[in-house]
Amino acid sequence: MSTILNDIKNSFVSIIKGLKVTAVNWSVLRPCVTELYPEQKPQLPEAYRGMPTLPVRPETGRSDCIACGACARMCPEQIITVEVDKTDPKDRKPAKFTIDISRCMFCGLCMEVCPKGCLKPARTFELACLSREGMIYDLEKLNKLGGELPPLPEPDDEKSSSNK
Amino acid sequence: MNQILIDLALELGKLIAIAIVVLVFMLVAVLYLVLKLRWVIARIQSRLGPNRTGPWGVAQTVADALKLFQKEDIIPKGADKWLFTIAPALVFIPSYLVYVVIPFGAGLTAQSLNVGVMYISAISSISVIGIIVGGWASNNKWSLLGAFRGASQLISYEVPIILALVVPVLVNGSLDLNIIVENQAGGFWHWNLFTGFPMLQLAFLMLVIAGFAEINVTPFDIMEAESELVAGFNTEYSGMKFALFFLAEFAESFTLAAIITTLFLGGYQPPLHILGGQLTGIAFSAVSLFWFMAKCWVLVVFIMWVRSTLPRVRVDQLMNLSWKALIPTGLVNLLLTGAYVVFWMHK
Ligand code: SF4
Ligand code: SF4
Repeated sequence: MSTILNDIKNSFVSIIKGLKVTAVNWSVLRPCVTELYPEQKPQLPEAYRGMPTLPVRPETGRSDCIACGACARMCPEQIITVEVDKTDPKDRKPAKFTIDISRCMFCGLCMEVCPKGCLKPARTFELACLSREGMIYDLEKLNKLGGELPPLPEPDDEKSSSNK
Repeated sequence: MNQILIDLALELGKLIAIAIVVLVFMLVAVLYLVLKLRWVIARIQSRLGPNRTGPWGVAQTVADALKLFQKEDIIPKGADKWLFTIAPALVFIPSYLVYVVIPFGAGLTAQSLNVGVMYISAISSISVIGIIVGGWASNNKWSLLGAFRGASQLISYEVPIILALVVPVLVNGSLDLNIIVENQAGGFWHWNLFTGFPMLQLAFLMLVIAGFAEINVTPFDIMEAESELVAGFNTEYSGMKFALFFLAEFAESFTLAAIITTLFLGGYQPPLHILGGQLTGIAFSAVSLFWFMAKCWVLVVFIMWVRSTLPRVRVDQLMNLSWKALIPTGLVNLLLTGAYVVFWMHK
């Protein structure tokens, strides 16, 4: 009998405890954490790594990419296509470079493997668009998204900072 | 002869008008309740809840309802078409009919019945049939099992509910909701909840617990425990038919609040005489409507609070609670109340 009474008492106490927890949450003591997204942009963390882009070197007006294709081979999703521009054999550069971002999983392997360290993660996160084609980023768009590299960085520093 | 026809037409017109008023009230109440529930749960989880559609999101549930209206109405292959279509109405109409006897204020009862309490318990148990029919007609084993689960829950909890309802009826000596409310006039210490210790308090507690199970909200919402059981009897329903089930469920949570208010919290009586008790006529009707709504609102918010706090019980725990705890307690309580009424109250 006493165990039953104890059970009843315990269950009531635990119910009241639970109600207290939610009531505290409900009261003004706890502010809402909802982000009102389009008006209120999220605070991206320092280490945020978005889609891969090709930042432009201001001295040359294009990215450092040498169209080696390492990123295309490494990409587990097989979404990068690189074609070499064969007009000038001394100056290797891509004629065509596209990334189909719609399937990118932001693993960062392409940026990891790039010998020139020229693929950089962008801090942009609003990638939605109305068509599948719109998700295919070509060289021009990737350059634009990547912005400009800081003037005259040491290539080695470049590499190490991108591998951080 | 003509006089009779005119009287009949007038009476019919009055009934239709009342039916429409009650229906509109019910729809507005349900739309508000759904919105309020989402706000309360959001706030408890440190979110904002609906805040986009209309100012502060007040049009959210209207938009949701419009969306449900547009949805395709699918009837599964091999389903019993007629029963499948009738089932939502079988669940919805009883929960609508219950509103007929609820005294919303002094003189604001659609139809005052001298067997009001019995009417409520009789009418609201019809919805079990709707649930079984809906599950059976879906031609889906899952729905059928869900319907059985739901029916067993509803039927088990009907008993403690009635055992709890009988206690204030005995003490007040009437089944008429209006008379029960009038007996509780004159300040909150006259309310049934604060008299007749400990029988009425026990009955109140039983009504709250069993009522939660009867209207199928957490911790007793195994009827449609969506995460672990993939919904219940209403799995195959879509669009408007689903909306009717949904509507009935929310209407029932207001009904429970109204019944508890009427039987235990003084119904439409103001808590203190100076807060409107001295008024008469239309003014008192308005004030009493306010107090009734305020009490119901507090209860409904309490239901939402509990709903967003407690975890779900297992089906065996649910059955145990009803048959091993609530029903014996209710029977003992009934005996005590009878003794109290016979030997003490009428002395
Ligand atoms: S981040 Fe990963 S998935 Fe995306 S393009 Fe680079 S290698 Fe491919
Ligand atoms: S790995 Fe780097 S250098 Fe090679 S093709 Fe890709 S982006 Fe260009």
